[in-house]
Amino acid sequence: MNRRAFLLAMLGSQGLMRSALAEESRAAQRGSKGAGNGDSVAFAPVVPGRRLVFPDDYGAHPDFRTEWWYVTGWLRLPDGTSIGFQSTFFRVRTGIGEDNPSAFAPRQLILAHAAIADPRLGRLRHDERIARAAFDRAGFTRGRTHVWIGDWVFEQTGDGYHVLIPRSESGGFAYELQFSTPDAPLLNGTGGFSAKAPDPRHASYYYSRPQLKVAGTVTLDGRALPVTGLAWLDHEWSSELLPSEAQGWDWTGINFDDGGALMAFRLRRQDGGPLWHAGTLRNGNQRNSDIHILMNNDLTLTPTREWASSRTGIRYPVQWQVRAGARTFDLAPLFDDQELDSRRSTGNVYWEGAVRAQETGRTVGKGYLELTGYDRRIWIG
Amino acid sequence: MRPVLTPVFLGSLSRRRLTTAFSLIAVVLGVALGMAVQAVHTAALSEFSRGVRTVAGEADLRIVGPRNGFDETVYPLVAALPEVAAASPVVEVTTRVAGQEQALQIAGVDLFAAAGITPALLARPSAGSDRLSVLGEDRIFLSDAARVQLGAPPGSELSLRAGIHLVRVVVGGDIPAAAENSRLAIMDIAAVQRQFDRLTRLTRIDVRATNGVSLETAKRAVQAVLPTGVIVETPEVAENQAALLSRAYRVNLTMLAAMALLTGSFLVFSAQALSVVRRRSEFAFLRAIGLSRQRLLVWLLGEGAAIGLVGGVLGVALGYAVAWALLELFGGDLGAGYFAGLRPRLEFTPIASLTYGTLGILAGIAGAWWPAREAATVPPAQALKAGDDASIPVGHGHPRVGLVLLAVGIIACWLPPLGDLPVGGYAAIACLLGGGVLLLPVFAAALARRLPNALSVPARLAKARLEAVPGHAVIAAAGVLTSVALSVAMAIMVASFRDSVDAWLHQLLPADLYVRAGAVETGTTLDGETQARIASTPGVGTVSFTRHESLRLSPEHPPAALIARPLSMDGRELPVVDRAPPESDPSAVPIWISEAMKDLYGWRPGQRVELPIAGHAAPVRVAGVWRDYARQTGAVMINLTDYRRLSDDRLANDAAITLAPGHGAADVAARVAATAAPGTLQIAYPGEIRATSLRIFDRTFAVTYLLEAAAVAIGLAGVAASFAALAAARRKEFGMLRHLGVTRSQIAWMLAQEGALAAGAGVLGGLAVGGATGLVLIEVVNRQSFHWSMDLHVPWVSLTVFAGVLIALAALGAVVAGRAAMRQEAVLAVREDW
Amino acid sequence: MLELSDLGRAFDGRPVLRDVSLILGNGEYVAIVGESGVGKSTLLNLIAGLDRPDAGRIRLDGDDYGSLDEDALTRLRRHKLGFVFQAFHILPHLTVAQNVELPLWLQGVDGKTAAAPAQRLLDAVGLGDRASSWPRELSGGEVQRVAIARALVHRPRLVLADEPTGNLDPANGARVLALLAEQIHAAGAIGILVTHSRDAAATADRVLRLTPEGLRE
Repeated sequence: MNRRAFLLAMLGSQGLMRSALAEESRAAQRGSKGAGNGDSVAFAPVVPGRRLVFPDDYGAHPDFRTEWWYVTGWLRLPDGTSIGFQSTFFRVRTGIGEDNPSAFAPRQLILAHAAIADPRLGRLRHDERIARAAFDRAGFTRGRTHVWIGDWVFEQTGDGYHVLIPRSESGGFAYELQFSTPDAPLLNGTGGFSAKAPDPRHASYYYSRPQLKVAGTVTLDGRALPVTGLAWLDHEWSSELLPSEAQGWDWTGINFDDGGALMAFRLRRQDGGPLWHAGTLRNGNQRNSDIHILMNNDLTLTPTREWASSRTGIRYPVQWQVRAGARTFDLAPLFDDQELDSRRSTGNVYWEGAVRAQETGRTVGKGYLELTGYDRRIWIG
Repeated sequence: MRPVLTPVFLGSLSRRRLTTAFSLIAVVLGVALGMAVQAVHTAALSEFSRGVRTVAGEADLRIVGPRNGFDETVYPLVAALPEVAAASPVVEVTTRVAGQEQALQIAGVDLFAAAGITPALLARPSAGSDRLSVLGEDRIFLSDAARVQLGAPPGSELSLRAGIHLVRVVVGGDIPAAAENSRLAIMDIAAVQRQFDRLTRLTRIDVRATNGVSLETAKRAVQAVLPTGVIVETPEVAENQAALLSRAYRVNLTMLAAMALLTGSFLVFSAQALSVVRRRSEFAFLRAIGLSRQRLLVWLLGEGAAIGLVGGVLGVALGYAVAWALLELFGGDLGAGYFAGLRPRLEFTPIASLTYGTLGILAGIAGAWWPAREAATVPPAQALKAGDDASIPVGHGHPRVGLVLLAVGIIACWLPPLGDLPVGGYAAIACLLGGGVLLLPVFAAALARRLPNALSVPARLAKARLEAVPGHAVIAAAGVLTSVALSVAMAIMVASFRDSVDAWLHQLLPADLYVRAGAVETGTTLDGETQARIASTPGVGTVSFTRHESLRLSPEHPPAALIARPLSMDGRELPVVDRAPPESDPSAVPIWISEAMKDLYGWRPGQRVELPIAGHAAPVRVAGVWRDYARQTGAVMINLTDYRRLSDDRLANDAAITLAPGHGAADVAARVAATAAPGTLQIAYPGEIRATSLRIFDRTFAVTYLLEAAAVAIGLAGVAASFAALAAARRKEFGMLRHLGVTRSQIAWMLAQEGALAAGAGVLGGLAVGGATGLVLIEVVNRQSFHWSMDLHVPWVSLTVFAGVLIALAALGAVVAGRAAMRQEAVLAVREDW
Repeated sequence: MLELSDLGRAFDGRPVLRDVSLILGNGEYVAIVGESGVGKSTLLNLIAGLDRPDAGRIRLDGDDYGSLDEDALTRLRRHKLGFVFQAFHILPHLTVAQNVELPLWLQGVDGKTAAAPAQRLLDAVGLGDRASSWPRELSGGEVQRVAIARALVHRPRLVLADEPTGNLDPANGARVLALLAEQIHAAGAIGILVTHSRDAAATADRVLRLTPEGLRE
């Protein structure tokens, strides 16, 4: 869900982005005024009770302000090594140039981020792209998942997905992965209506596709390797996501070895205290039959170990204990340094990495953990 | 070489300070002028290149088209090529802030595409502003320099001219990587397309090739998807084109500097020649006591080299000072308009400095060569015995060699240009000057013989001297001839040019009023509605609209201009210099090409060619050639009706209005201006345009005048220096004449007349050589460098006055120089014999 | 008549000439000899009007030099004096005839009128056939003969000759001295020959010796 950190950083790629959350919130309260030319743009609201309809809701929702398709997971190399990967595609409606007949009008932006977490390297390989949706150089499709920037593509195919990152200008990696699942989408929150704050205005439409089987090829430093693995997909869209008092968030998505799945997040206040908890727990492999929607009291996320980045000096809580209803999990990173330092290009720093989940001392699943808002430079002020 | 001889030789320079000083000044001026031209140009070009490089950033290639751009659909085609890693579309407009003169070049960029290719074109929102403001349709980002110049802090509003409309924008921030470019502004590409009426148009695409793909491969792949008239080039090409554009101008200026240096060399020659004569017995003595011939030669060359060295060093220093002053006053193109808007910084270039310093030394050595050889070849015994000024060389020159040189010069005029430079023309000028100098003695003697015999004693003496020993006249007058020839040639060329430009302006501006939406380069236009309103304004008789486009015909050449305006079938509105035979095929679209097109692209009247108009190759026929002084890179005229049919482009850049009978120009101008928003339509009277054009013309040649004046000053200094040296050598003669009862004023008169005669010979020779050189400049150099012809116009009155003043000044110079020899003590110069 | 009365001249307080007196009548040709540095050149400069005495006076045909200004002295030289120099001082860029004509030109005689007397003098010095030659085509003796012609062409009252044979070999020298004496006598002018040479001095009518105490026979 909360890949928003990345999104905002990309938009602030000219280095002066500030207090984006608060600012966006203010913009929302002003009545969603577009930047610059002041023409009023009505972003579609997220309302409770709307039923998600598939396949339509696999596709893009350009009337909303922001939307992303996000897939993370664990891959196994031929030699048995486990690596993590991440592909995220964002769509942003800027509210600018809505009536501009120019083909370049920046009404919709597409952003993408690809990363590989390789424990042998000990840090992330990553690359990112941003473009306005124009001339089919970058764009999105309604009715099915299909979003792209140049030759980077995130696309729905048959009963699965296809992600193609055929080249990276800076990351030194490439991958092409095919995802499949027999399961229907896992709706988070109330039938896909995911609240982010007590005020119902701050919410999103949000579904996940856990337990995605992965097959494909990863190219590292020019060497193409066949891989298999397990992944997690999120698709979320909203117009007014976060309350102004939110400082950052911590999110995780875990595929359990028994076919179950856990999605959990918390929003933090500026003082670090929790603002909002929510999650979804699917027990066993009974095809979405044993699903628990977790709200504030059912869920706690507690940091248990911190790691300090030697590059940025930022301290991230990389190890966690998650209490989800009756079950308690310990999350431990694949390796500590999964900090995504894109200050050179986007000016933002956060942590996004592969984690193992243990329950009563036994590894029960693998997934991803996202920690945002720990970079004071960006998130405070 | 024993340094112990230093006082004998180099010391001699300090003993004849005046002549040494004159030689030195000449060398200094020559070197300084050359150095200044070089330094200014280097500064301008490196500033231009810096600009190109900053904007080009990481781009390997750039796609450019005609002035009004090309269709944006080219962009996805190019971006999709596997050979292309990234492509950044740009739409550029040049505009002005309402109420200000300063032009602003707005680059409409897609910041996401530009980020990886041209980081200099990235805007930065000011602190506290909206995060998406870089995309805002009303946001403009100014370089620091532009912000300061416009006085527009972030958040302030600006009104920009867009055609006949005004666009209100807010200053949203700055451009960190291009802070010093005072003309640069950035907006979002979509905003520019919409606000400046450039929908669907791009003017440039910057391209980064995929890693591992050769530039040539990428270039071919890109060119293959481009429509006609849109080309892909490397960013360096733009630099080269700029360098080429101004090269002819620069070379011309450098040639002037070379002339100054040559004159300096002549001065060293005359000073050394006379000094060597005076020291003949001294050398004979040195030779007698064992100084070898070679050493004597080397020492004497060393004297010239010493002058050259000091002159070279001072000249280089002065050159930089002059360059600095020129940059401050005129800008990097010395006022010629090639680099308008650049603020070049002077840089020290060691190699050029060394080269020009060395040229100074070479000039000194060259000047000393002939006298040194003369001195070294004289048998010492004879020189010891003669020991007197009776041995001054007579010198009738080498008239045969001179004639040969003249012949070679005439032949050289027919040589084709070499690498776009009129090498033959310059060779011809060099031959003319050399031939002129070599023929000068014969000419001077002939001139003296033609003078009447019944003259006063001083005149008779002067005449006898010139007739008998014209070699002296060469020494004094060679510099005069060179500098006068140079000045006269330039005067004739400039006068012809100015006259032709004036006539050309009259022919091209026949209407009563001219209306335009903005400076042509801004591309601001009159739309159909405005055109109709202007045409129907009361008092407007006929109105003809003009559309300016440009043509990219080859990557090697800068774009050529395409001008669409109403034209008759016979092109009588144009200054036609050549026309094709009438065409029977009525469907052939006639175009009229400028002389530059003929030279650069080899098009001929009657030829069928294709013009890339609106992305398509339109077959046309060259109906004739017209003279164009405005566009050195070529211009094509086409009938507006034909252009509109071929391009579907209904816009116009300006309108020429002929008044209906009984209407005053001022009233109609006011009414036309009222058809659009106040201040958007610029209305000019042909007289104003002509005056402005001629003012620009005169400014362009300002530097030329400066160089001419310097050359003439050097020539006059030569007369004075020669006479100073001669007068010293002739002290005994003056002493004897005083014994015989010649008064001091008579000697002064004699010297004045000798000076006038020598200078007269030089001036007359210079007029002849200069006239011929002027013709070479007009018919060969200008034709080949700038591709335009002109009608000969000789400014007789100015030339006559100029020649008269020069002769008078030369006479005065001779008297002043000889004054030392006429003092009372000098009368006793013969005393050593008593 | 040339009268020198008690002439005195000092340079920087050092007396060079003292109490020089001399009276020469028309047609009289004297030689003045003396040691080096005894003041021969100074005496000649005073007589030529190129220098002025500190004491005494000079009169030529009644004109007192002391009463003449610079221009008048120049005119006096132009009309009444003729010079023969050791180094000839013939103008190289004038022909032989023009060199001889030069004093006449200075008196305002035009070129044509001057040609006849010049030719007569050139005939007299034996160079009648070299009139249109250039000085550089002549030998040293011939050049000095041209100088003698130039010195007499305008019928001067006084001819001053300064070591005229100093640059010539003895045979040529003797010829030139004889010619000089002959021409001075023929013109009826006063002649003063300054020389070191006893033989040269012997060609004059009488010989005077310049000493620090004055002129002696």
